[in-house]
Amino acid sequence: MKRRFWLIAVVLLISGLGFAQPKVLPAYTSLGVTTGKAGGSLTLSLASAPQTFFYYGAIDSAIQNLANQMFDGLIEYNLANYQIEPALATRWTITDSRVYTFDLRRDVRWHDGRPFTADDVVFTYTQIVANPEARGGDAANFEGVKIEKLGDFRVRFTLPKPAPAFIHYMRLPIMPKHKLLPFSQEGGKPRAEINSAWPTNVNPEEVVGTGPFRLRSYTAGQQVTLVKNPNYWKRDAAGNPLPYLEQLQYLIITDSQARVAQFLAGNIGQINITGAEFPDLKRRETQGAPFRVVQFRALFGSPPHIGFNYNAKNAELANLFKNSDFRRALQFAVNRERIIEDVYNGLAERASYGVAPLSEWYYPEVARLQGRFDLNAANAALDRLGLRRGPDGIRRLPSGRPLEFTLTYGSNSAVFTAIATILQSDFQRVGVKVNLQGILAANLLGTGRGADWEAILLALGDQPDPELRTPIWKPGGALYYWHQATQPTTPTGQPQFNNFLPWEREIYDLWERAASTTNFTQRKALYDRWQAIAAREAQVIMIAKEYAVGAVSNRYGNYIYSLGVIPGFNPVPLMFQR
Amino acid sequence: MGSYLLRRILVAIPTLLLISVLVFAVIQLQPGGFLENLLEDPRVSRETIENIRRQYLLDQPVWVQYLHWLGGIVRGDFGYSFLNSRPVSELIWERMGWTVFLAALTILVTWVIAIPLGIYTALNRYGPTSTALNFVGYFGLATPDFLVALLLIFLVLQSGGTAVGGLFSPQYIDAPWSWARFQDMLAHLWIPLIVIGLDGTATIMRQMRANLLDVLSQDYIRTARAKGLAERVVLWKHAVRNAINPLISLAGLQLPTLISSTIIASIVLSLPTIGPFLYDSLLNKDQYVVMALLMLSAVLLMVGNLLADLLLAWVDPRIRYE
Repeated sequence: MKRRFWLIAVVLLISGLGFAQPKVLPAYTSLGVTTGKAGGSLTLSLASAPQTFFYYGAIDSAIQNLANQMFDGLIEYNLANYQIEPALATRWTITDSRVYTFDLRRDVRWHDGRPFTADDVVFTYTQIVANPEARGGDAANFEGVKIEKLGDFRVRFTLPKPAPAFIHYMRLPIMPKHKLLPFSQEGGKPRAEINSAWPTNVNPEEVVGTGPFRLRSYTAGQQVTLVKNPNYWKRDAAGNPLPYLEQLQYLIITDSQARVAQFLAGNIGQINITGAEFPDLKRRETQGAPFRVVQFRALFGSPPHIGFNYNAKNAELANLFKNSDFRRALQFAVNRERIIEDVYNGLAERASYGVAPLSEWYYPEVARLQGRFDLNAANAALDRLGLRRGPDGIRRLPSGRPLEFTLTYGSNSAVFTAIATILQSDFQRVGVKVNLQGILAANLLGTGRGADWEAILLALGDQPDPELRTPIWKPGGALYYWHQATQPTTPTGQPQFNNFLPWEREIYDLWERAASTTNFTQRKALYDRWQAIAAREAQVIMIAKEYAVGAVSNRYGNYIYSLGVIPGFNPVPLMFQR
Repeated sequence: MGSYLLRRILVAIPTLLLISVLVFAVIQLQPGGFLENLLEDPRVSRETIENIRRQYLLDQPVWVQYLHWLGGIVRGDFGYSFLNSRPVSELIWERMGWTVFLAALTILVTWVIAIPLGIYTALNRYGPTSTALNFVGYFGLATPDFLVALLLIFLVLQSGGTAVGGLFSPQYIDAPWSWARFQDMLAHLWIPLIVIGLDGTATIMRQMRANLLDVLSQDYIRTARAKGLAERVVLWKHAVRNAINPLISLAGLQLPTLISSTIIASIVLSLPTIGPFLYDSLLNKDQYVVMALLMLSAVLLMVGNLLADLLLAWVDPRIRYE
């Protein structure tokens, strides 16, 4: 009898071990990662106070940053090559780019000890992500998607039509059903009620995730403290539990100079900086300051471009802006090399459309098609358009009025201001007068989507798959702001094809085909073609893609740059205090 | 005195009502709003916006919205922050403690330093110390506070210090009160005190100096001296008491600056006060927060004025309110 008991116990133990599924991270030796030591704490910064502790309750960079540490998605990115890897899902099958079936990691526990199951995944996607009232949700991309539980550790997403990039949405953070059910429609509440979950004065015990750190406290306007999740499901390459750090502190510091000062004073362990701040910090580093300044080429990040309003209120200008010859002519007067050198201190490279030069989707011919800085070529091209110079050196429109337009830029960004000034002076040299109009950088996209602008300096983010940026680059998309006449008149309607320019139609068809093609090589060929057309027509004038630059105190090891707000890319668990 | 107080409070009510109309109108007149800003995000639909609008009665006529807002205030409900999905009063309350502490301390320090310096510079008009003090005063008046903040941060960094912003070092922010925490606070506190207080100190010092010089040339001072009164009595009992009067009215105006005047300095110094909160709310057009803070500012101005008047009556025997 006793023996049988032991037998059962051993069998249970073995099967239990079989079920416990920690994820062992790759060694990442190319990134300089070594085995760290447990303990210690790291202080980081947030640029604004969190508006909520519920990721989907607001579009707020502070909570996006924090959620990366407190929650996990089904998948995540490899930190070295950005390939998709298992996270809360251990494996998955994709049928026809339409049916996605995920096997979930077993033995993962929420911070409060409750087990993580398929119910949480189904709840997160049906009640929150697909909820059109959740302010930080993503209902548009989940319209018509059927989400089912196939067992305690298996879920299936069935899409209405094939979407090869859909897998990237699976990195959205999974939320605990047992805590959030009372705020959901399933729990009997109106759909908008979900936004009121976990306000900033919530009891930190309530905010539970599966992530490497859990919320401990928030002191209004000052700091957020996270502590280690001792039961986290990741291991380092040597099999040690992660994260190494015992505690993460986030100081709320609005002003970027104040952030740098706090870093120099040693109060912050790591900051992301810009190319403009680079020389000063690099000089200090070489003089022996106890920190390192590190640069990476980043997949994410937002390269600025000049957009021209094809539907500008001034009809003469609109005609010019719509004309590829005019945009190409002005592109000759965009001195990218000088901008990279002077504005970014050399820490930038030429940019393509929607995908970073580092990305597998990048089409290398783009740089050649964009051409070089050449004022003579610009002048010749403008002359060919019949825009003769007046006695003051400014060219004249057909109506005889001087060729001048307003360039709207973000005046609270040092980078945008400097670029705008360089553009203004170079355009002046080819007889085009630019009037600068500075607005808050945060309002740029809003202004661009309105009608009241002529040219704008705007930055839109790069993503690991072009399809994720469909609303921006596919003519007629919701963010295809420079040619608003192509956009549908009703939110769900068709684009206004009669207003398409011939090459826009071509791009539209390429995107249509790419969206239903599943073969990588074929998709790549389609998106290459798109980038070639966009560059050839100077759809918008891309300027430069900034390198990612970060500074880290020598007290910490295993630092890998992270933008902080990208779900599925989180190197912090590997960091350790020396 | 009691009836005077009552009268002042009664007069305050229509004034506040008028201010509330103005505040409400100003917010309504601004183009766009928080909800329009939301639309910039492709994930937010028109329908969502309309739902939120209905939820907060924003689809009602303007006067209904105003009455609703006013009714809320009377019941102590200042509305709801769109940005934080929380009641406005809670959010303000969270930040009130440090705001009042910093402002009260700054006002106190300002007066304790500025009045004696004003007297000193008036009595020693041409001495080298006075000239130096006047220079510092002019410097303080002429330099924007955020610039002073950046200069001080730079100096602290150059000298190897670590207290370059905030009120505490990171490890003490959440710690319970202790002697070490208090010391840490003092190490941080002097920067905001100088930054926020310099301008006020310079103003009051210059005012005090001018007033005292004025008074010292009056006939009754000469008379007092001719009577053979000790110079100490002439100065402190006759001159200073008269010279300080106008400054008391000035003090009443300082109260609303609790909220508004330190915005930029607070951002540069990462202070946990209402300033950065108001700034954030203005940028995001979080209307109920902005309206509540503007109203609060108006109330503080009126309370400050009232207190100044009462103080004046107490200090100056010639002033009596019947």
